[in-house]
Amino acid sequence: MKLRVNGKDHHVDVEDDMPLLWVLRDELGLMGTKYGCGIAQCGACTVHMDGIAVRSCQLAAADVDGDITTIEGLGTPESLHAVQEAWVETQVAQCGYCQSGQIMQVASFLDMNPEPTDDQIDAAMSGNLCRCGAYPRIRAAIRSAAGKMAAA
Amino acid sequence: MGRARTIARRTFLTGAVAIAGGVAFGTYLVRRDPQNPLADGLGPGAATFNPWVKIDAQKITLITPHADIGQGAVHMQATLLAEELDLDLGQFDTEFGEPAPAYHNTALAGEGTPYRITDQGVVARGTLATIGGLAKIIGLQGTGGSSSVADSFDKLRAAGATARETLKLAAAQKHGVEGADLTTKSGAVILPDGTAIPYVDLAADAAAIDPVRDVPLRAASDWRLIGKPTQRSDIRAKSTGTLSYAIDLQLDGMVHAAVRLSPRRSGVRSFDAEAARTMRGVVDVFPITNGLAVLADNTWRAFRAAEAIDVTWQDAAYPAEQADHWKAVEASFTDAHLDTSLRDDGDVESALAADAVRAEYRVPYVAHAPLEPMMALVRVTDDQVEVWTAHQLPRVLQQQVAGVTGHKSGQVVLHNQYAGGSFGNRLECEYVAVAAEIANQVRGTPVKMTFRREEDFAQDFPRPLGMMRGAGDVDSGQVRALALDIASPSPIGSMIGRLGLPQAGPDIQIPAGAWNAPYGIENFRVRAYATPGVAPVSSWRSVGASGAGFFIEGFLDEVIHAAGADPLEERLRLCDWDVARGTLEAVAEMSNWGESLPEGKGRGVAMVESFGVPVAEVVEVTDTPDGIRIDKVWVAADVGTVVDPVNFENNVQGAVVWGLGHAMNSEITYSDGMAEQSNYHAAEGMRLYQAPQIMVRGLETHFAVRGIGEPPVPPAAPALANAIFAATGMRLREMPFNRHVRFI
Amino acid sequence: MRILLIAGLLAAAAPLMAAEDQVVISPPAEGSVNLETGLAAWDRIYEVASHPRCSNCHVGDSDQPMWSGPSYGAPRPHGMNIRAGDSRIGAETIPCRTCHVTNETGGNDMPHGAPQVADAWQLPPVEADWFGRTSDEICAQLRDPERNDGRTFMELADHLGHDVILHWAWNPGGTREAAPYSLQEHVDDLLIWGVAGMPCHFD
Repeated sequence: MKLRVNGKDHHVDVEDDMPLLWVLRDELGLMGTKYGCGIAQCGACTVHMDGIAVRSCQLAAADVDGDITTIEGLGTPESLHAVQEAWVETQVAQCGYCQSGQIMQVASFLDMNPEPTDDQIDAAMSGNLCRCGAYPRIRAAIRSAAGKMAAA
Repeated sequence: MGRARTIARRTFLTGAVAIAGGVAFGTYLVRRDPQNPLADGLGPGAATFNPWVKIDAQKITLITPHADIGQGAVHMQATLLAEELDLDLGQFDTEFGEPAPAYHNTALAGEGTPYRITDQGVVARGTLATIGGLAKIIGLQGTGGSSSVADSFDKLRAAGATARETLKLAAAQKHGVEGADLTTKSGAVILPDGTAIPYVDLAADAAAIDPVRDVPLRAASDWRLIGKPTQRSDIRAKSTGTLSYAIDLQLDGMVHAAVRLSPRRSGVRSFDAEAARTMRGVVDVFPITNGLAVLADNTWRAFRAAEAIDVTWQDAAYPAEQADHWKAVEASFTDAHLDTSLRDDGDVESALAADAVRAEYRVPYVAHAPLEPMMALVRVTDDQVEVWTAHQLPRVLQQQVAGVTGHKSGQVVLHNQYAGGSFGNRLECEYVAVAAEIANQVRGTPVKMTFRREEDFAQDFPRPLGMMRGAGDVDSGQVRALALDIASPSPIGSMIGRLGLPQAGPDIQIPAGAWNAPYGIENFRVRAYATPGVAPVSSWRSVGASGAGFFIEGFLDEVIHAAGADPLEERLRLCDWDVARGTLEAVAEMSNWGESLPEGKGRGVAMVESFGVPVAEVVEVTDTPDGIRIDKVWVAADVGTVVDPVNFENNVQGAVVWGLGHAMNSEITYSDGMAEQSNYHAAEGMRLYQAPQIMVRGLETHFAVRGIGEPPVPPAAPALANAIFAATGMRLREMPFNRHVRFI
Repeated sequence: MRILLIAGLLAAAAPLMAAEDQVVISPPAEGSVNLETGLAAWDRIYEVASHPRCSNCHVGDSDQPMWSGPSYGAPRPHGMNIRAGDSRIGAETIPCRTCHVTNETGGNDMPHGAPQVADAWQLPPVEADWFGRTSDEICAQLRDPERNDGRTFMELADHLGHDVILHWAWNPGGTREAAPYSLQEHVDDLLIWGVAGMPCHFD
């Protein structure tokens, strides 16, 4: 089947029900998207489909019906997305394993809701588990990213 | 090569050793002349000054042997080296290095010993090691017990300083100037005329001379990096998905493995793998110790095939039902199971009146569940085993893997990786041993073995469950007596048993945080009982103090309440260590303790010393119609010197979230011999919306420099319980608290 | 971009109906159902409507779906602080479909995973307020054109036949307990109740 990931077309020969997560990681070698739970409880596998955040562990390959963006397609170390810039400046990460998913969730969230309230941040981001407990910095970085995106 | 090795051998940091604990701890004497592992494989023109610094014509490499499990150990170690070496952050690479005796952890040796942190006397320090402790394992080379800063602080600064002075000497000889006229800056030696000679250009010269020794360390007032906010070296990679964890590594010809291991830690009774064998991408299915392994061409295919195996298991060696685990704990409060009686001040029996305050407390088993599931990538050949994983005990792991594959320990090469969390889980070797056993069946082929999250929960060695029976008494508005009997299985004994080492001696972790509480209560006794025959357990962030800290600080709050005293004022009155008192005074000031609060709000305080670090916390909650909301936490911790204030704050906040979240809603219970919780839906921890504001203050009055990864965990749960009491009048004596209250 | 995204959220995939989901709408003859039979049918309808598979999302003017049922212990709001918002699809915060992805390929058998159907996941209208409501309250709502989107019982039955989210209640996957009876039986009960004049016990 054909997938468009980070602006490039890929042909993959996989089962219809292989979760997109494992197509990305084990078939396409895009390792920035992480496996944490496999049941939509942790958010580590979050990517975008046509700009909307989606848990790639839940999305069967055959159900992909839009352009996929992964953390690798959002920004790079040399050219950071505004959310990543805020993440670096705020020094959010501890172990960092959940952060690809956190950042992808925030990027989509701020795209739809550029001036979120604190309550909306708490609602949007509570599906992304951070076992290290970097939540205070995640909140601060979201506010910072919203500011950057508004100024841009 | 011979020359480099000779130099390396002669340049061990004698001064550093003396400072960092070069004293005899039983048989764990710090070696005065360990071989520098960097000397092997050093290229021509490259210099190594000690086991932590390597420079060649291209680059500077700093070795950071303490594992980075999210706590920022790489950046911390690099900061200490760069401080004295006059490197700017970003001018060097870092490597975890290979397992080696040179990376002995000298800070933890005292951690298993029955002396309070305040007791630094010769007798206390000289009669160590009679009590078995994690130090015996970790001391080989380990990360744990919040010891990385303590182990590194003097040693790595000294390593940086000797390297710097040697480079200056090399420059002086090369350019015919006096060494005293040289300075260093930003990775270069500066000649008197202002010319900057980059270190990399001096590598070959430095390799040919005897290194300088016994270099005095700089005064704190001269520090450029220590104590200043700096950018963590891994932050950009971790913000862009470009940091490779072990789970992200790919080798040519690699196969993926998944396992079905007995959820009862028992053997296989029978299995049928025919369906699994015929699934797409499955290469093989074969039995391994306590289960079955699947090899496939993709992680998900391996997972699915593992799930498709029809298997029945032998019975567990521990009670099948949770109620019987509790009965075993209840039954262990006897003289026969008495493990330690480390505190016995005054005369508790006489001081406890018939109407003394009495209560029973409980903490459950809890899983580690770091977000990167347990996994390892292993390649076995006839003469070598290569392991790619994140682990906290490299040398122990070498031995364990060698035992599985039949190699010699020295043939096991560990490529340690950044960990996607640990919380103590990566002190265990089982997940790597499983991968090694599978890879050993297909020698030559790299095998990436990944636990499904459900397997990760099933195979976790949890934090021990435990109970406390407490009695306390008061007089004239003051606490006069406190007696705590604590029973739990021994986490250290369980771990040591799995490593095949003798389980001699009691386990100081059972009453950790309670027996050593810095309170001068007139009549104060803490007895610990070791519960046999329950589930195997392990170290979980803050280890024993995660339970016993709750026991003492929750129950003490009850006794203080019975005395009619203020919870914070009475703790201050009782506190007999000025460093600990400072943390209580700090949170009192930060929270404006004593101010009147709106209806429905309540505050609780707790202070626990663990790993030598006193931490005081005040938690503020609101009792809403929908449940308890945790609003704010004020934290003060004294670690002597805060190396990196940003990372310090992040670690403290994370530890508070860890302590609160698991106290709120997490436990492991057994039924039919298996953990009933299989994924995060059933063991959630804290979510972002539940996270309070957390105000952090790092104090620096402690006589020793200590770590912060664990110490803020133990006070969090009791401070929360005490706050809920203040807001609602309900005493919570059992975790998880959501058995009794709802949280929003 | 923003408008496009929200449009994307709302765009329902063309619902695929598996063969077993085909519903036959065949009402009893006019006048053939007495009151007792009609009320008995209503009681079965209420069993369905008040079952966690249905009521967990029929939360009225709350925007928090519920988690309740045999595997949940005491009822509680959907974990992770999920809010469907005024949009009822989570557009303001986190779209329902971030986890409840649109699934055209079947499956939906992952224990504790997010339920999936071949349509965009969302909360029902505010008026269809069932969670914790009594038989009388739900009965009154269901027959009130002001609060049932102006539907006759035939239109209600037709709606049941076509809405694949509703079909999920009888095929919830992942070891979840299904709603009682079957989709066809539920439709038949609705038709019996309708032909009986949509009676409620309080009439």
